[in-house]
Amino acid sequence: MVNLSNNTNRTMYAYALGNRSSRVWLVLTFLIASVLVCRAEGTASGRWEGTVQIPGMELKLIVDLAQDNRGAWIGSITIPGLNVKGSPLADIAVKDSDASFAIKTGRGLQATFQAKLNVDGALSGDFAQAGNMAPFVLKKTGPAQVELPPHNTAIAKEIEGEWKGEYEVLGYPRHVTVKLMNRVAGGATAEFVVVGKKTTNLPIDLVTQEGDSLTIDSHETGISYEGRFKKDAGEITGTFLQGPIEIPLVLRRAN
Amino acid sequence: MKILRIIVLATSLFVATVCQAQSMFRGDTTHAGSYSGPAPRQFHGAKWKFPTGDRIVSSPVISGKALYFGGDDGNVYSIDVETGRQIWKRATKGPVSSSPAVAGGIVYATSYDGKLYALSAETGAVKWKFATGGERRFEAKGLHGMEPKNQTIADPFDVFLSSPVVAQGAVYFGSGDGNVYAVDVATGEQRWKFKTGDVVHSSPAFADGILFFGSWDSYFYAVDATTGKEKWRFHGGEDALIHNQVGFQSSPAVVNGMVYTGCRDSNLYALDAATGKEKWRFFNDLSWVITSPAVARGKVFFATSDSSLYHVVDAASGKPVLKQQGNAYMFSSPAVAGDVVFIGVLNGTLEARDVKTGELLWNYQTEMSKQNKGWVLTAERKFNVPFFYYSNWREAPLVAIDRQIGIGAIFSSPLVSNGVVYFGSTDGFLYALE
Repeated sequence: MVNLSNNTNRTMYAYALGNRSSRVWLVLTFLIASVLVCRAEGTASGRWEGTVQIPGMELKLIVDLAQDNRGAWIGSITIPGLNVKGSPLADIAVKDSDASFAIKTGRGLQATFQAKLNVDGALSGDFAQAGNMAPFVLKKTGPAQVELPPHNTAIAKEIEGEWKGEYEVLGYPRHVTVKLMNRVAGGATAEFVVVGKKTTNLPIDLVTQEGDSLTIDSHETGISYEGRFKKDAGEITGTFLQGPIEIPLVLRRAN
Repeated sequence: MKILRIIVLATSLFVATVCQAQSMFRGDTTHAGSYSGPAPRQFHGAKWKFPTGDRIVSSPVISGKALYFGGDDGNVYSIDVETGRQIWKRATKGPVSSSPAVAGGIVYATSYDGKLYALSAETGAVKWKFATGGERRFEAKGLHGMEPKNQTIADPFDVFLSSPVVAQGAVYFGSGDGNVYAVDVATGEQRWKFKTGDVVHSSPAFADGILFFGSWDSYFYAVDATTGKEKWRFHGGEDALIHNQVGFQSSPAVVNGMVYTGCRDSNLYALDAATGKEKWRFFNDLSWVITSPAVARGKVFFATSDSSLYHVVDAASGKPVLKQQGNAYMFSSPAVAGDVVFIGVLNGTLEARDVKTGELLWNYQTEMSKQNKGWVLTAERKFNVPFFYYSNWREAPLVAIDRQIGIGAIFSSPLVSNGVVYFGSTDGFLYALE
């Protein structure tokens, strides 16, 4: 029994206890950290909310991260200040305490997030866009609510194949060739080539058919085509949309 | 003694000519944008910078020891060109988004209050005021594709007012009421007015008794400066779809019987000054030519907006001599001095380029541009569109453009005098760099 009233002994005891305590804490910290690191992948799942501090502007971020039934990471992001809602996350990587992901929206916003899962449960790191960088901090607020992006649908057999049409902008003619085809899986794809003074092969990322309505989207360029298939006339009557410009465009079977 | 008198007279005339060549928008009545004397090929520092209360889009002019310019704070300013200290300021009732013209000891300036002011160059005292039918900006339904398509929208890029030019005892300027006015310098009375079909914010150039100017009605005009009678008109492009590719916002330069002007239809035109016949055009792939061309050494210097290209073409043939890719839109007009060309960029940078190669010699970035609040600019100083043009809110496009040009943009066209470059910025400062 140690006499705690003895200052010397108390000091010695405290010293000894302190040493032992330090060791215990070290071991505990290591164990906790190991558990945290091991469980990082699990803890990345969820809805994360916070802000990114841009000079003169604080942006609200809402990030949803989850693993699909094959274990692959999926996610979406909402940035109310930049008119981004449920935009899909790309290049998601979660390893140990590191997490990173990227966004590429149809409005031309491309950015990356490099983050660390902290012991306090926060997800913090750097937001990089167009060469600019700013810190962000997110905190988990609940389970993930990942928004899945629209996907290509299959198209009717009679719509498959090559179509041609033309339109005019400010007196300058444009010739359009569209090739539509179904894939074995993953719906239809399209090639969309516009020939004016130069030839532009639009990067098409979405083809959908609902009833007789056909939509072809190139989110990267902000160009889309909305048409209605008229079986009897053998044509697709629609509109070429480029930003604010809406121009009628009738596609007919290429000979 | 007689020889001495001749030397003194000749020197006075030379000084007067030099002063005259800096006392109006783009130098003198021809608006060639070419300045005599040395130019800083290397950047040594800011000689001074003068604060105002609001944005500056006006281009400065110099007469004697004073520099004159307008502020969007509504003032016409007179500044000591050496020290950058204010000599006087005179308030108008609207932004002064044009360059003053100085002649005969009088400063002439246009204001958004719809008036032309004649002020004492020495004191700023008002000699007379002349009221037009009132200012307005170019407007159209669904302008530039803005919603709603059926509503008339004023053009946020119509930032300049017409700058006056003084010749033949009259001051000439365009107005948002669609007229070009000739006002007697002595009395302030109207001599004549010439009606066009839309806003005239192009600054008239004068040569050989003829005034040259463009209108937003898509026509470019030559008018007899004495009578106000039309000599000829030239038709530029039309755009019934979104009214984006129409109108002469650029101001012309007249050199050696040729008129050079940019147009929103994305062409730079060279017209015969006597007949209005098109000599050549330089197409810019639907990118506006807002800059007023500079003409020097048989070359035409200009820049574009969306494509952000700096061009030099042969003045006689229009054949390309060189081009350089810039970082952002250019509305500021190039100024040629010595072997350097200066041009302002809407990203808040003044660029100095080699006349022969077009290569960047140096650039100066305003503090506001460096701060890059809200990431309006990318790290490369290009416009970061997703960060200022993101909302669908009713007035969002206008707010976005306000955000874009609030970065310390340089609309003002540089003036070069005695090795110093002067220009204004939307950060509210008038800069003197050497």
